Amino acid sequence: MERLLAVRCPGLLEEDEAGDVLRVFAGVVAAVEASCPWVTVVRTGICTLPVRGPARYFGGEHAVVGVVTAAASAAAGGTVQVGVAEGTFAAVVAARTGTIVGPGGTPAFLAPLPLAVVGDRDLADVLARLGITTLGAFAALPERHVLGRFGAAGVARHAVATGRSGDLPGLADPGARRRLHALRHPAPPPDRQPGFWGGASEADARAALAIGRVQGLLGPDGVVTARLQGGRSPADRARDVPWGGRRSAGRPGGAGARPPWPGAIPPPAPLLVHRDRPAAELVDPGGAEVAVSGRGLLSGEPARLSVAGGPWDRIDAWAGPWPAEERWWTRGHRRAARLQVVTGGTARLLVVERGTWQVEATYG
Amino acid sequence: MFDSVAPDRVPGRPAAPAPTGPATRRDPGALAVLGDLAGRIRPTAASASRLLPVHPALAPLLPEPGLRRGSTTTVAAAPGLEGALSVAMALVAAASTGGSWCAVVGVADLGAVAVDGIGVDLERLAIVPRPGPHWAEVTAELIDGVDAVVIRPPFAPRPAAARRLVARARERQSALVVILGRAGWPEPPDVRLTVASSRWEGTDRGAGHVRRRRLLVTGSGRRAAGRTRRCELWLPGESGEVGTAGSGTAGAPGPA
Repeated sequence: MERLLAVRCPGLLEEDEAGDVLRVFAGVVAAVEASCPWVTVVRTGICTLPVRGPARYFGGEHAVVGVVTAAASAAAGGTVQVGVAEGTFAAVVAARTGTIVGPGGTPAFLAPLPLAVVGDRDLADVLARLGITTLGAFAALPERHVLGRFGAAGVARHAVATGRSGDLPGLADPGARRRLHALRHPAPPPDRQPGFWGGASEADARAALAIGRVQGLLGPDGVVTARLQGGRSPADRARDVPWGGRRSAGRPGGAGARPPWPGAIPPPAPLLVHRDRPAAELVDPGGAEVAVSGRGLLSGEPARLSVAGGPWDRIDAWAGPWPAEERWWTRGHRRAARLQVVTGGTARLLVVERGTWQVEATYG
Repeated sequence: MFDSVAPDRVPGRPAAPAPTGPATRRDPGALAVLGDLAGRIRPTAASASRLLPVHPALAPLLPEPGLRRGSTTTVAAAPGLEGALSVAMALVAAASTGGSWCAVVGVADLGAVAVDGIGVDLERLAIVPRPGPHWAEVTAELIDGVDAVVIRPPFAPRPAAARRLVARARERQSALVVILGRAGWPEPPDVRLTVASSRWEGTDRGAGHVRRRRLLVTGSGRRAAGRTRRCELWLPGESGEVGTAGSGTAGAPGPA
């Protein structure tokens, strides 16, 4: 089973009506993601990430725990618990005691725990009468007996007790992921009438007249106004709406109007966000294509960049990669990542997906 | 200096002269009506103040403590450098937040988050991303009604076309800001801004992130604008904003 690092924020386990807890937790996830890719939200207050890649990068699991603890506690504004073990359940338990369970040590780590931790009171009561009070003793029962007595739900807990599975029923809360997602993509606020028609000054009327004439030349979509909204990629964070149509409010109000958007590239934002992204080639010093692994690590150091088949530019500096958003919410197979690359006076934001690099934005 | 610039819309200022000139050549009847209309609705905002406010960090580049209405400013970057678009947007930012209408013509893919970060009020910015062959006509229309017009011509215009736009901006008291890419601008501008050097900070072999850019910008021009001024800016700064960078590199953090 995959070795996971779990972050547990004791102060953020219960959501409040105002959404403050969820927002703070979104900040925690963003802070963790700034150093480690592929963070998965388990439930509000708890997230995990695969530790193997970051351990290679930072020089060991202890180092990763240190990095993540510092980042998460700063964002949480309080204590966070961090632990490492195999599978989600064991990693979360390890986090509660700040334990790094050695490779292969997860069954032994779980064995002495009271049966109540698997969260099924009936099962725990019945087994207690049989003298079975720990996960280890439960794990020692043959699976067919568990199935016969407790059904599929019992088998799922048994698999967790033996360390074969980390997916304890009821541990993950998909609703938390949905709510965090909603925080990132708030519903559009109700439309309001354009300000410059109501109570317009003469300058406003004059501007409207001129802009209307331009629309006469180019069509209504020829003149646009930009609206900011929540989002992670530069393209997500703004949209153009035709001038003078039904214009909605600028920044969405209320919950989620403000960053941090988990996984967003830190500011400043790029001045040009390309609608038609030019293809790019990125190679390491040996001339091999630079790829990003499933763990979010680069196959080699970016050395030269060619945009749209143009000349090769030497890369003076680079930063990233940042995992792209799809991966953050699901553990699906979509592997996209972003990388900042500076060549001479030009800074670009590249995105790679399915092995193909494109220029998503230019810092202009 | 920011405070010394009179706010927009001071009532009771005299009206600008009614427009005449190039436009009337095309369709005298309709344009006379428009011109008359424009002449009547001009006074409040457009001529209320001779200067549009500019961000204090950019003011040292200009011959006056603001962007003069009716003037033409070109913004270019030295070969191999970027930054002209940033400087142009920064130049009109304070005007927009002061309530003036601004427009940008010919910049496709403009990143609104960055423009907002520079300080432009997006509610006051009309964007014409793809004017195509109509760019000069579109610019002329916007000059008629908008206080500051930023344009990036797709190619160097013929001298006569550039002259018409410059004259129109002067006549309509709109500030014209021309971004020079590969395209040149055949008319001598009132103020010429040039990005002379540029350095991104914050990245280092995977660590950190693109944090901010130090730009050295020079300003020169005709008449009182003849002396060359220099100014070092953070553009963008760490939050996307415009700021004054100290001289030299002292105080600038190295790569993270």
